[in-house]
Amino acid sequence: MKKIHFSRSSLGIPYGIFLVLFVVFPLLIILFYAFTDGQGRFSAENFIFFFSNGKTLGTLAYSLGIAASTTAASLLLAYPAAFILAKGRFRRRPVLLMLFILPMWINFTLRMTALKEILTVIEKNLAYYPFMNTVIGMTYDFLPFMILPVYNSIAKIDDSYAEAAMDLGAKPAQVFLKVMLPLSVPGIISGVMMVFLPAMTNYVVLDMLYNSTYIMGSLIGSYFSAYDWHNGSLISMILLAIILGFSLCSREFAGQKEERTGGIRI
Amino acid sequence: MPDKRRKRGTGGMKQAIRIAILGAFLLFASGCAAPKEDGIVLRVANWEEYIDEGDWDKEDEIVLGDGTSVMGVNPMVEDFTRWYQETYGEKVTVEYSTFGTNEDLYNQLAIGDRFDVVCPSEYMIMKLMAEGKVQPFSEEFFDMGTEENYYAKGVSPYIYQRLKQQKIQGCALAEYAACYMWGTLGFVYNPDRITKEEASDWNLLRSRKFYKQITVKDSVRDCYFAAAGMLHQKEVSSEKFRNAADYPERLSEKLNDASPETISRIEQLLTEVKENSYSFETDSGKSDLVTQKVSANLQWSGDAVYSMEQAAEDGVTLKYAVPDSCTNLWFDGWCLLREGIEGDREKQHAAEAFVNFLSRPDNVIRNMNYIGYTSAVAGGEDDLVYQYAEWCYGADEEQKDTVEYPLGYFFSGNPQDKRYIMTAEKEQSDGELFSQYPPEDVLKRSVVMAYFDAVTNKRINRMWTNVRCFDIKNLIPW
Repeated sequence: MKKIHFSRSSLGIPYGIFLVLFVVFPLLIILFYAFTDGQGRFSAENFIFFFSNGKTLGTLAYSLGIAASTTAASLLLAYPAAFILAKGRFRRRPVLLMLFILPMWINFTLRMTALKEILTVIEKNLAYYPFMNTVIGMTYDFLPFMILPVYNSIAKIDDSYAEAAMDLGAKPAQVFLKVMLPLSVPGIISGVMMVFLPAMTNYVVLDMLYNSTYIMGSLIGSYFSAYDWHNGSLISMILLAIILGFSLCSREFAGQKEERTGGIRI
Repeated sequence: MPDKRRKRGTGGMKQAIRIAILGAFLLFASGCAAPKEDGIVLRVANWEEYIDEGDWDKEDEIVLGDGTSVMGVNPMVEDFTRWYQETYGEKVTVEYSTFGTNEDLYNQLAIGDRFDVVCPSEYMIMKLMAEGKVQPFSEEFFDMGTEENYYAKGVSPYIYQRLKQQKIQGCALAEYAACYMWGTLGFVYNPDRITKEEASDWNLLRSRKFYKQITVKDSVRDCYFAAAGMLHQKEVSSEKFRNAADYPERLSEKLNDASPETISRIEQLLTEVKENSYSFETDSGKSDLVTQKVSANLQWSGDAVYSMEQAAEDGVTLKYAVPDSCTNLWFDGWCLLREGIEGDREKQHAAEAFVNFLSRPDNVIRNMNYIGYTSAVAGGEDDLVYQYAEWCYGADEEQKDTVEYPLGYFFSGNPQDKRYIMTAEKEQSDGELFSQYPPEDVLKRSVVMAYFDAVTNKRINRMWTNVRCFDIKNLIPW
């Protein structure tokens, strides 16, 4: 009897099926809905409406603002933490890293409810600072997604680079700016990617925290619950285009970085 | 050439194995999905937590005035299958599923999910009626002579009358829907911070005195109604308007007005509400009131009962008020879906029996106790449901601060009926009793909200996104 032999490429079949069934096919449906009207005819009306309406554009701008602030805040918090974790002289580094990741293991519903109580104690009334509270909530939720990739990329940098730079007369600040930071850019980029898009759309976090800020995700939710699948799909498509453009730019950026630092690549 | 063929041959072999594996997988999956059933399969879709799930503790047992004990041991659905087998000698299997909003249910139906009996709200029933998706209940269902017709025998004459008046394309809602739970729209408020008068006015929502202290339901329809209330309350409260012979029709017409001008005025009002309120809440309204983050919340009476109960456990007193000018009378009702039943008489019988079983007075009490909403079933000849209301809210004999609370309009259709005048604690008359069984004059000022046609609906939804969205003009200052 002949032995059943799987070639390496057939190992990809399960994922291929998954991809077609749950990614490509739904995407095509969304694309179809985005550019048709109720009768299934092609229509760009929703598209024009979105880009000519001050309210929807305002929401897009507001969401971008929230996402950018959240990303910046998480990066500012995560980078020093990840740097110390990766390069500090700790005896139990894995335990420390685990402590940072620990919040991720607790259900986010619980975390958000707790955060709401804490913020209420501090601010008395959450409704006075909608933008700030949203950024705090999002940062709290997405911080681990920033810490992990940044930590990984910093941990991979060989200590001998820093030593070499110092031997050649660089001051600590120069070592950081000219050696460590450029080498950790890939980690930063993947961290930014992991935080930016969810921060534009994850309105469930806001619902839990205090639901008055309206972001792109909420807009999609509203359209779908009002059985307006066309507008909902269109906005999903716009977000997809934004993130696609964003990731293309960052790849370009990362590519340049690698070339420039090519001299000290491992 | 032969070489090539051989290659194709082995390729075919691989292909065959792949297909075989996939096939085996699919077979396995389909085997899991469709277990063999005999008897009738009844597919029910209901709101989440909208039916008694049994498993009560001993101390939850309700012992009514005449000694009857009501206790939820098993889930209601399980009890139904047992009862059906005993009563009709046939096996029925209930596939019970839940939905979160009327729109979710509608979307599920639109993508091809099949149910036999569902429980949406009044406007969704009207929409389904207009689209021809629901079918009327059978004549036997309304036959008062049959022992098991608990709905026909027990439904409150007042509610049934309101359902009969509501017509879609000439068909009365009462024939297509069996009312399950009903209530009003109003404010749950903290009496330490807001007076009853302030809470009896739709303008509470945009009162600067309560800046960022009030939550609003994140729902287009409820907000639309509240804003329509603000818009028209002066006019509809006037003596002249109230004393007009066709007051109910005119009130309904006013509040259901959805002309483009009204919609744009409502948009302005709701934008004011948005600026003034704490938030549009989806689920946090009740807990925010209990933890005193907010002072009032626009809520349905059923949820109000729950909020007040929860708050009382935490030592906080909350009250419920309905604006003096007008309110929304809402209800959820069971209806039969044409595409589910498909003319199968046995299935329709089982579906109707399901509704009847839920309308049996002891089951009504179980559901009301579990959900906290008000059932449309008054019990008819059987006064068990009224006894339950008394068990909940009736005053003890030694209590001094009591009021006479007439409920005859609901229980027998006669407002002056001596049997249904409850002596209740005064506290209850603007608390839980008021929200669970509002007095008749509140209902006289109530309006059932119509469903809007596709064009109007689209306009209203656009208005709603306009209200909720962030205006780009607000960006420019900073």
